[in-house]
Amino acid sequence: MANHQGGGGAGGLIGHASLPPPIPAGDQTVWADAGPLIVAACSELQDGELIHAENFSLFAAMSALEIMDPKMDSGIENSGYHSIEEAIENNIAPVPLSLDSTIDVQCILDATWHKGHSLAQTVFSCIYLLRIERTSPHALLHSYCRIMRAICNALVSVVSDARTNEEEDLFAMAYALPLKGEGDEKCLSILNSVEETISRQLRACKAQSSRKKSLEDIEPLQRNPDLEEGYCRALLCRLRFRKHYFHVFMCMRKPHGKGLELARKHVALCLSELSYMSKSLEFLRSLPYGSGQDDIESSTTASGCKPIGFDASLNSTLSAPGPPRATHILSWKKAVGYFQKLLHDLDFVCSFNMEPVLEDVLHYVVQFQKLQPDLVARTHLQILLVQDGKLCGKDSFHDVISRALALPELTADKEFQKNEFIVQLGQLIVSLLKILCTNIAWQRRKLGKILQDWGVLSLQLEMAFKREFGDRLNVMVDENMCMKVSRRLLIWTDEHTYWIASRFLTLGFELELYSPNEYCMVYWYMYVVLMRLMEKMQMRIAINSETSQRRGKKKKDHAKDPARDGSLSSSSLLIHCYICLCEGLAMMLAALHNESKAFQMRSPFNGEEERFVQHFDLLQKAHVPDHVSYYLFKESTVHARISGVVKHNYFREAQRITSSLKGSFAGDPNRMLELQQLEQVAEHNRIALNVINQVGADDPSLRVSFEFTHHPHFAIAVVKRS
Amino acid sequence: MTEFSPSEIEYVRYGGEHHLPLIMGLVDRELSEPYSIFTYRYFVYLWPNLTFLAFHEEKCVGTVVCKMGHHRNISRGYIGMLVVIESYRGRGIATELVTRSIRVMMESGCQEVTLEAEVTNKGALALYGRLGFIRAKRLFRYYLNGVDAFRLKLLFPKCDPMLLTTSNKNGGDDQPVNCL
Repeated sequence: MANHQGGGGAGGLIGHASLPPPIPAGDQTVWADAGPLIVAACSELQDGELIHAENFSLFAAMSALEIMDPKMDSGIENSGYHSIEEAIENNIAPVPLSLDSTIDVQCILDATWHKGHSLAQTVFSCIYLLRIERTSPHALLHSYCRIMRAICNALVSVVSDARTNEEEDLFAMAYALPLKGEGDEKCLSILNSVEETISRQLRACKAQSSRKKSLEDIEPLQRNPDLEEGYCRALLCRLRFRKHYFHVFMCMRKPHGKGLELARKHVALCLSELSYMSKSLEFLRSLPYGSGQDDIESSTTASGCKPIGFDASLNSTLSAPGPPRATHILSWKKAVGYFQKLLHDLDFVCSFNMEPVLEDVLHYVVQFQKLQPDLVARTHLQILLVQDGKLCGKDSFHDVISRALALPELTADKEFQKNEFIVQLGQLIVSLLKILCTNIAWQRRKLGKILQDWGVLSLQLEMAFKREFGDRLNVMVDENMCMKVSRRLLIWTDEHTYWIASRFLTLGFELELYSPNEYCMVYWYMYVVLMRLMEKMQMRIAINSETSQRRGKKKKDHAKDPARDGSLSSSSLLIHCYICLCEGLAMMLAALHNESKAFQMRSPFNGEEERFVQHFDLLQKAHVPDHVSYYLFKESTVHARISGVVKHNYFREAQRITSSLKGSFAGDPNRMLELQQLEQVAEHNRIALNVINQVGADDPSLRVSFEFTHHPHFAIAVVKRS
Repeated sequence: MTEFSPSEIEYVRYGGEHHLPLIMGLVDRELSEPYSIFTYRYFVYLWPNLTFLAFHEEKCVGTVVCKMGHHRNISRGYIGMLVVIESYRGRGIATELVTRSIRVMMESGCQEVTLEAEVTNKGALALYGRLGFIRAKRLFRYYLNGVDAFRLKLLFPKCDPMLLTTSNKNGGDDQPVNCL
């Protein structure tokens, strides 16, 4: 075919690149006009067909084309360079005039990568990184590129191995990118050497300024001798940040948490260097090449100098199939802010107690998720918790379970270890810990699904118990070891099934999955689930207390038991507080629905029952709990009246519990904060309820809305009159 | 804002190739995700009875494009695209378009209807909420611009759907929507 328009291929016909010459005919080939043939073929195609073939359907036609996919869509804009080499030949990546700007842009692209974009569009849009060998003559740039590459490689590996990143799968995509290179293992020593050189430079600058000696044998980093000292400082803090950042991850990867303490020190040093980087802003903006980007808030470098040596489109043919995500490059200030948050989150992970009780681990992970950590921090917590199939790489899960059941004597028991229920429960616990480290949207979906597995195991344990021991679940006298283990296993599994269910429900609030006219049914279901949870916790407390009495003073860990039992009792009381709030809110909402017709659902296509079924479908399928239905919900709420809700004093009871818990939680700032929030929720709602009662729920001037201003899961009623 | 009375809006089922450029024009202008012509043809050729257009004085001012099929043994409708041009928004046109399409799905035996909407699209979320959709899931960074999406789902009652009341005449308080 005569190719009148020159070369084809992705990106060949657009932008300002010159068209390649037409392909000449060879000895065995001639060019012929295929136009008439194509027209004839097109005339046989029906509307909507891309290819006329038996199995090539409309769906196939739609799926065959991906708009904006760089491999398919040759019309998509790019820089016009067909390759990295062409870009280099056109001087896109010269020796950078301002090394600080290049480093700053790499830094923001690093943060942008973490925030949900591909490496190809971010960190590896840097031509210096793509052709790292070109930077060899420039020690500082070369060492920085090496360590950036080494860190990227380490993070991609750890995230890929941990598989925490479902839904954030762009993070680990590194198709054909040069993530590894010979000699990368020496990146730290190369960086140290450069750091030492610049430190000497800085000392020399200081000496020069005090003694008026000239710098003779050290090559300056920039042209103005008066600015050399400030420039050295600016570069040093950037190098040192990257060095300590590298160390953080290397230390955190050490098995069994052995490097956590050192990692915390490096985190502190990183934060310190970030602070110096921020302070260097004013100096760098005063440099002659600075201030190309006038707006400090949106500038991509501290100096304001426009970045050179970066082009995201060069990797387009290497990228994952599909349209590139619109890349919102962070500003320099926001990137610094991102790293500060990441380091604080990593510090939280590093403060993890490596001798954990499983309950404490679950609580810890829930607290961690309140920080809204990003993928990198979550991955590092996950690999800390589950290593080589063991808790923190040390305790096999059958040991963890035996301790959770307050039966440490079973630790070495081979029969116990091989028991199919124990093996299964161990696997469920591993899966649960991993799920709890994922982003909360995905986490909630997975928690809903694993409820089935936990529900089935609970049922199997119950059936096995009844088969063996009859209906003696609440009878603890005359029990042999086998019965003791079975009972405790059943209660523990039940309790944690309800724990998962309660987390599933509360995450719905954090994800904004419930609309106000659904709050009543959600709080009601939470009330039901939490009641069962508290019941199981109290059974466990009773068992532990009975065990402690029997052990007397003989056991050396007797001192630990009261503390642990105390903690369990406090946790149970806290659940009781949640129950009061849930019940109060459910009844208040139900009363408003009944008396004032507020929060009603009027839909032409379905009613409240369908919404109930959909929201709680996974819980119902898992029978968590059993015998709960929409009709039970309606029976429980249809007679609710504001006056009745006031009389029950749910919120006053919640306040009483929060006051009583202050002593138990005095040493835990997170728990104390939550108590304060719960107190405020209870107080606000108690007052709101009284106001509604006085005015009358059916008063047409009354407007009641619910807001989550004090606690993420428990709303407060806001009462207004129009 | 264009002045008109609701009775001046004519709702028409997809009638053929002549409607396709109107639909494509509206969606290309108003929605952020890019579609090829093959995507439009896939929807309107296989499910012409689920695509509706709204006309005002012979000008196409809104459209809804849907499909249906089986998903894990459940017959499910899917709302692919919904758009009303800006000067006609807030007057119930989007609600009427979606309602018509959902009614056809219901009559065709669908058990549920689903779609995705950006978490920031308050108008769409309010519209679908009024029609009985719940927010079944949140999808992290679902869209090309990195914004999360809600998967919205409407479950039809198991009883005879024809016994349900007809469309909710709320007046024109629905907001302009983009739902894909």
